[in-house]
Amino acid sequence: MAELEVENVSLGFGGLRVLREVSFSAVAGEMLALIGPNGAGKTSLFNCISGIYSASGRIRFRGQDLIGRKPHEIAALGVGRTFQHAELFPQMSVLENVLTGRHARFKSGAWSEMLSLPAMRREEDAHRAHVERIIAFVELQWVQGAMVESLSFGTQKIVGFARALAAEPTMLLLDEPSAGLTREEREDLAHFILKTKEALGICIVWIEHDMQMVADLADRILVLDVGRTIACGPPEAVLRDKAVIQAYLGAVDGASVT
Amino acid sequence: MIGLFALLLGFPLIASQFQLDLANQVFLAVIGSLALMLLTGYAGQISLGHGGLLAAGAYTVAILSKDFGASFWVTIPASALSGALLGVIFGFPSLRLRGVYLAVSTLALHFIVIYLGTEYETHGSYDSGVIITPPVLLGYSLESPRAWYFMMLLFAVLAWLVAANLLRSKTGRAWRAIRANETVAEALGIGVSRYKLLAFVVTSSMTAVAGALFGYYRGFVSGEAFSIFIAIQYAAMIIIGGMGSLIGAVLGAVFVTAFPYFIEYLLFMLPGADQAANALFAVNYAAFGVVMIVFLIFEPGGFVGLWRRIANRWVTSAPNVVAVART
Repeated sequence: MAELEVENVSLGFGGLRVLREVSFSAVAGEMLALIGPNGAGKTSLFNCISGIYSASGRIRFRGQDLIGRKPHEIAALGVGRTFQHAELFPQMSVLENVLTGRHARFKSGAWSEMLSLPAMRREEDAHRAHVERIIAFVELQWVQGAMVESLSFGTQKIVGFARALAAEPTMLLLDEPSAGLTREEREDLAHFILKTKEALGICIVWIEHDMQMVADLADRILVLDVGRTIACGPPEAVLRDKAVIQAYLGAVDGASVT
Repeated sequence: MIGLFALLLGFPLIASQFQLDLANQVFLAVIGSLALMLLTGYAGQISLGHGGLLAAGAYTVAILSKDFGASFWVTIPASALSGALLGVIFGFPSLRLRGVYLAVSTLALHFIVIYLGTEYETHGSYDSGVIITPPVLLGYSLESPRAWYFMMLLFAVLAWLVAANLLRSKTGRAWRAIRANETVAEALGIGVSRYKLLAFVVTSSMTAVAGALFGYYRGFVSGEAFSIFIAIQYAAMIIIGGMGSLIGAVLGAVFVTAFPYFIEYLLFMLPGADQAANALFAVNYAAFGVVMIVFLIFEPGGFVGLWRRIANRWVTSAPNVVAVART
């Protein structure tokens, strides 16, 4: 049973067609890399899944239709995500950022918060403890209390990853997690992603430009070009596919994307 | 902290009638500016409806006590409720509009509230405003500024506690996330519409209670007391105090409330002060405008920003002091 099923999803802004009949599915425990040249519609596809854009077609997650739902409802269903530019909340510490990612898991209401009732404080403490474990998991205890603006871009992206994990998602959408990171940071990140996949067995869809990382980590690859699916399958096959090579490099005989 | 409380509690023993009145005005302003700080400084929603909300609280007291003979224990919760209701109405445009457009829509609501209030005055033939009799609590009539002092202090402290409690929990984080980036907040599971409305409801409710206290304190409610200048003054409080800080809201409230008295004091130190008395209003407005502009240009972080900068300079130089001390 597929976790995520995308069927004939199309998206347009005015006359511009961003996605054309994109279909694919992903299963639990799978790492599906989403690749394609700039403007292929990768981030738009993510925004359709998380409900920021309303697409036509059908998107099902664990048997539930996502199109028409609000983004926060989709997040509460278990779809976690990160953003290309980290998009952390400034003027908040690392811990607070990650706690904010856990928002949908809180039960206490505004009244108990205003009165600071014991039950509400216990809940807050329990979530805080959980979030501290996530921060330890991505090895960021050393900056836990730091304001996020003071961190390097690479560290900010790892915080963004931790923030997505905080909601305990059953599917993760990672938008170019490695872009702008140093070699060392990329290796750390690949390590955390693999650890997450092993520990949680969740489905991870991830947009990536680093083809070496894709070849190393992906179980399958989906290739988009100008809004269309041009290939989908295991890395060995896809990265040698004629259409893929053409989309990336323009026709080059005997070349490979990696 | 304890020292501060001792000072606040002991103040009525040494203060003059005038100083107590000023303190009471400050406490009222503190409630309103804490409320506006939650909405604008944390949730990032701009509102110019503060005068209307204060008026709503004051009119709730006027109507309930005049027409129904309701007591303080009824009118205050009722004004909180009417504020909350108005908060939903003031908040609805925020689901569609942002920034200056939102400000204009809240401004429109301000005029609607004032219009309804003055209509009540004319129909009840309270031509020059509604006179409110002082509330009697436990057989004790609240009339003098001294008697009101503790009531105002209590409400200001309660407002602070409510605001601080909300800010250090889920709601406060959601508000700050919305202020930073609505789309990201929404995609991470925060119901943005819900939390925006909640911000308007909490803010409006607190502000209406401040308005109700104001009505009782003045003993008189009239639409003319709630001009658009009030909304600007409250905006000034949170800017001058420092956006995104509760202490900033308090400092701003103290500054803006005391400012006209300070200007008056300065003006009467000048030679020929008697002629200057006529110009007092104009000088006041002008000086207020200048202070606002100076803050916006030179210290957009307000008093709190100024303090942080000074503290940072001191902290960064501190390690050298330690190093020198060690050698």
